[in-house]
Amino acid sequence: MKKKRARPASRKAEAPLGVTPAQALWLELMPFYIREAWLLDERRLTEWLELFTDDVLYFMPRRKNVPRRELHRELTPLGDLAILEEDKRYLAMRVARLDTGMAWAEDPPSRTRHLVGNLEVTPLEGGEVQARTAFLVYRSHLETDHQILSGYREDVLRRAEGGWKIARRTIVLDANVLLDKNLSVFL
Amino acid sequence: MDNRRKYAVLDPATGKIDRRIFSDRAVYDDEMEKIFGRAWLMIGHESLVPRPDDFFHTYMGEDPVILTRDGGGDLHALLNMCRHRGNRVVRCDDGNANRFLCTYHGWTYRNDGALDHVPGKAEAYYDALDRDALGLVKARVETYAGIVFATWAEDAPSLEAYLGDARWYLDTVFNRRDGGMQALGPMKWLEPVNWKTMADNCSDNYHVPTSHLSSARVQSTFLGRPRLSHKDQFESPNKHAFVNGHSITFRDADDNVPRYVHGVSSETFQMFQDYHDATMPEVERRLGALRAHRVQLGNHSIFPNGILGFRLALPRGPLQTEFWHFVLVDREAPEALKRVIRIGSQANNGAAGMFEQDDVDNWRQVTSASASRLGRRYPQDLSMGLGHAGPHPDYPGLVSERYISENNQRLFYQRWEEFMNAESWADVTIEPIKARFEGTATMQG
Repeated sequence: MKKKRARPASRKAEAPLGVTPAQALWLELMPFYIREAWLLDERRLTEWLELFTDDVLYFMPRRKNVPRRELHRELTPLGDLAILEEDKRYLAMRVARLDTGMAWAEDPPSRTRHLVGNLEVTPLEGGEVQARTAFLVYRSHLETDHQILSGYREDVLRRAEGGWKIARRTIVLDANVLLDKNLSVFL
Repeated sequence: MDNRRKYAVLDPATGKIDRRIFSDRAVYDDEMEKIFGRAWLMIGHESLVPRPDDFFHTYMGEDPVILTRDGGGDLHALLNMCRHRGNRVVRCDDGNANRFLCTYHGWTYRNDGALDHVPGKAEAYYDALDRDALGLVKARVETYAGIVFATWAEDAPSLEAYLGDARWYLDTVFNRRDGGMQALGPMKWLEPVNWKTMADNCSDNYHVPTSHLSSARVQSTFLGRPRLSHKDQFESPNKHAFVNGHSITFRDADDNVPRYVHGVSSETFQMFQDYHDATMPEVERRLGALRAHRVQLGNHSIFPNGILGFRLALPRGPLQTEFWHFVLVDREAPEALKRVIRIGSQANNGAAGMFEQDDVDNWRQVTSASASRLGRRYPQDLSMGLGHAGPHPDYPGLVSERYISENNQRLFYQRWEEFMNAESWADVTIEPIKARFEGTATMQG
């Protein structure tokens, strides 16, 4: 029989001795991102959707080749054409699409592995937190198609009932021309 | 059959087409010369280079090209190849510069292409270098309503003749407003697909209710967009016209309903209707009553590789294509409307677009099949609606009897054959302009 997991001494966010509040926040958020990665890789997308606030902006700008001295222009701003500029309803629509049985880009579905790390946490005003993570996502599709998507995410997290929620996600790919045939997996 | 014709790949009696043209390297190399070296190619939009000395890096086929606006405001299309050894002189996607430096030996060009500076001109070259003859290679440039086209062919007809009566339809979107349009983008990605399949699919209205049913279905549920079925498509009153290898679908209905673009939903419909109504007097003045009220451009492609408005299928070898996705919006439209169109467009098209992502595996497997020796024994069947297109009393070009047909593909590949068999532009037909262009809109906007 499986052993019951030991209950942590303190279930609240009280930092254990010798852990700073910043470290405690980091310790709280890293499992959040690990769980998110498993939800995506296990295709539990309805549960994944619940990680986002209803007013989320899920944004992936384009990334341009610009001179080093003009790096402020590297990412296209909100208002220009983005790769993704989605609200919760659009995200929900994308998830619902996969269940129609006719979303050919993902039927049969991709096999993905989201590796998320390099977490950096910065408290913002009003109790929100900025969390930056780097990712490597491997996607294998059909017989031999495969792709590595590399990049970072910059999230704004908000504390909500049942844990943290993502109120804004900016995804920046380390690519200019995307090498994949399409971008049909979530990052 | 004319035995000088090297390419006879489409049987006009049966609509069978030789699959070889989708994968053969020698055919591809010929295309680079006879199609991409000859045709007027869409390369950009004036709004991408709005100020003096702006540049935008683009492609004509596989060849890198810098679209520049010089200090005097004139546009140039310059091959991005230093005349010395061939290094690129621009490595950025866009910017503002009046000189381009070759990072190899320092040859420097002005943004009108002239070779301005050569290190060691006197000391190493003995002043014997003919700098005037060594400017960046220039293409001919012409614009249509802000869209920039270029060609390498000295003997090409004018862009106006090249577009011909297709412009009569294109005007209804691209030449609609006094303030013109504004280009956003491009988003760029690489697909394992022959470029022609993308181009011919653009006006393949037959695939939509199968390839895109999942997206259409959730968009009905979530956004209140109309349902999509084969029945709707087959019974559609929309029309499909063909001019000079360009393909134009259009809605023909005088019901004062705005054009059904990406972003229209039950919530946003009124915003589109209000804009449509508010701008109608201007549109009528620019295009005349018939086009303003009756003709709404749908899917269309501009031969060879301009797709669905302002998107480019840039060949990258016979088995790969780089796709560039732009969105064009009326410059003077309200910001809220531009936003809705921008978001609707990225949600549907582009690498992550719900509609577009479902196309790719279909297309790439068409490409793969054409590389198979066995597959090549069995031609593609493009017979749908054979013999059911002709002149129309009201509309220019050759018009398909039905909205759903493969007239689109057959006419595209006929044009392809014509270009591939031509020795020069003298062998390529240009249909005379017959349409009546009512209103004030011109090639220049």
